[in-house]
Amino acid sequence: MKTPMLKKLLLLAMALAVVATACGDGDDDSASAVDGPTIRLRGQDFSEAVTIAEVYGQYLQAKGYDVEILTPAGFRTEAIDGLRNDELDLIVDYIGGSLTALEPDAATSSDADEVVAVIGPAYEEIGATLLDYSPAVDGDAFVVRGDSPASAISDVAELGYVFGASAQCFERPQCFLGYTDPAIYGITFADTVTIEFGPLLGEALAAGEVDAVVWNTTAPQITEQGFKVLEDDQGLHPAQNIAPIISTNVLDAYGDQLRSDLNELSALITTADLLAWNTETDIAKRESDDVAAEWLEAKGLN
Amino acid sequence: MTVLAQAPVPRDIGFLAWLLDPDSWTGTDGILASLADTVALCAIVVVVATITMVPLASWLAHTRRGEVSVSWLVTLSRAIPTFAVAGLLVPLSLRSGWGFEPWPIFIALLLLALPPIFLNTYTAIQQVDPGAVDAARAMGYREIDVMFRVELALATSVILAGVRVAAVTVVATEPIRAFLGGDGLGRYVRDGLGQNNDGLVIAGAILIAGLAGLTALSFRLVERFALPDGVRRLATTTTR
Repeated sequence: MKTPMLKKLLLLAMALAVVATACGDGDDDSASAVDGPTIRLRGQDFSEAVTIAEVYGQYLQAKGYDVEILTPAGFRTEAIDGLRNDELDLIVDYIGGSLTALEPDAATSSDADEVVAVIGPAYEEIGATLLDYSPAVDGDAFVVRGDSPASAISDVAELGYVFGASAQCFERPQCFLGYTDPAIYGITFADTVTIEFGPLLGEALAAGEVDAVVWNTTAPQITEQGFKVLEDDQGLHPAQNIAPIISTNVLDAYGDQLRSDLNELSALITTADLLAWNTETDIAKRESDDVAAEWLEAKGLN
Repeated sequence: MTVLAQAPVPRDIGFLAWLLDPDSWTGTDGILASLADTVALCAIVVVVATITMVPLASWLAHTRRGEVSVSWLVTLSRAIPTFAVAGLLVPLSLRSGWGFEPWPIFIALLLLALPPIFLNTYTAIQQVDPGAVDAARAMGYREIDVMFRVELALATSVILAGVRVAAVTVVATEPIRAFLGGDGLGRYVRDGLGQNNDGLVIAGAILIAGLAGLTALSFRLVERFALPDGVRRLATTTTR
C-alpha cells in the first residue's frame, strides 16, 4: 500500500520539477540577456543612496544587463574615486553635490541645467558620462520647528536662532557661510552646534537644543515630527537632482540601449518616491533591496 | 552673544602649518579653548571615579567581600562600547530636556574610568602582605587604621597606576564627544573628516595623542612623588 503511494508522490514531484525548470527557462528567455561587460554599481552608505542604487541595479538586472551591486560603502568622494580608478562603472549622485566635489570653486546654481553644464565636462575628464538627471530632488533643507513664525529663510535673520548642522555645512558657501553672509541672508545666529548629519538633527530640533537645522528635503522625520522646511527665497541651495553617472567605456560597449534604459528610469523617479523610500527604510526599518524591488514591481519595471 | 562666520580652514593646509598658526590656538573655536573643555570634563570624570571607587574597592577588599561577583561586574563593564553608550544616551538626554551635554558623554566616560580604578584598588589591597596586616593588628591598630595606615599606604602605587590608566583612557576617548553634539579637542578630527580636510584630521589626532601622552607622563611624576616615605624606602630596599 505504501510503496505505490510513494511512487506516485515521487512521480508527482518529478513532474513538478520538470514544469518548474521549464518555467525557469521561460523566464530567462523572456528577459533578453544583453551582451557586454559587468556593470559594477555601489551605493553611497546612507539609506536613500542605498535604495537608489538598488533601484538602478535591479532595474538593469531585469533588463538583462550583467550588474553587480556591491555592498554600500563611503560617500561621494569614494564613489567618484571608484569611477575614476575603474573600481565602479555606475554611480548615482546628487548633481549639486557632484559640483561641489568636482569643481569646488565653480558658482553653484539652483538651476539644474546650469549645474549639469559644469559637471558634465568634469565627469568626462575622469572617463565617465553624466546621463539625464531625474526630476527627483533631494536638496538641502533649512528646517525649523512647526511653531516657528518664519516661512522663508530670510525671516530667520532677526530671530536669534541657535543653528545646528553637520561639519560640512559650516565651511560651505551654499550653507552656513551663505546664511550668515550679509550679501545673501545675513542671518545672525545666537549660537551654533555641530551635529552629525542624520536623525540626531531632528532630535536636537525637537528638544529645543537648536532652533534651525540643515537637513535634506527627503528626510521623512521632517513631516513625521511636525517640522517645516523654509523657502530658500534667495536661491542659495544648489539644485540636487539625482543623476546616474556611468563609465564611458561601459556605456560605449552597450551603446544607446543602455543610455535610453537609464534615462527612462531616471525620468520615472520623483521626489515623492525618494521620500516614500526613506520612510520605508528609516521609519519602518525595512531593507533597501525589498523597498526597491517593490517600487519597480509597482511600476512594472522588473 | 553672536556667532560670526569663521573663515573655514583651507583644505590644502598642512597639519604643521595649521598647528603653528597662532590663530588656530586662540578664539572660541581655538585649540586652547577646546583643550580646556576636554581637560575639564576628563578631570571631573577621573575625580568622580576615584572618589567613588577607591573607598568602595578598599572596603570590599579589606572585608574580603564579593570577590567573585565584583570581578565579574568589572570585567563585564569593560566590554561596554563607550561610543554606543554615549550615542544611545544622547537621544534620551535630548528628549528629557537635558541637552547634548554633559550627561551622556559624562556617563559613558565614567563607565570607562571605573573598572581600572576599582580593579587596581581591589587587587592592591587584597595582595597587601597579610603579615603586615597581622602585625599591625597585633600592635593594637584599629581596623580603620589597618585600612588607612597599612593597606592603603602599601597599595598607593598600584592604585595610582589604576587612576593613570583610567585618566589616559578617558583622555583618549573623550574626543568622541565632538561626534555627539559637543566640542572639545575632538572637534578638529570631526571637522576635518566632514570637510574632507586631511591636515585638520592629522593635527587633531596629534593633539589628542599628545594630551593623552602628557596625561600619562604627569601621572608618572605624581606616582613618583606621592608614594609614602616608608613604601618608597621599602621599594628601594627590596630592589637592592
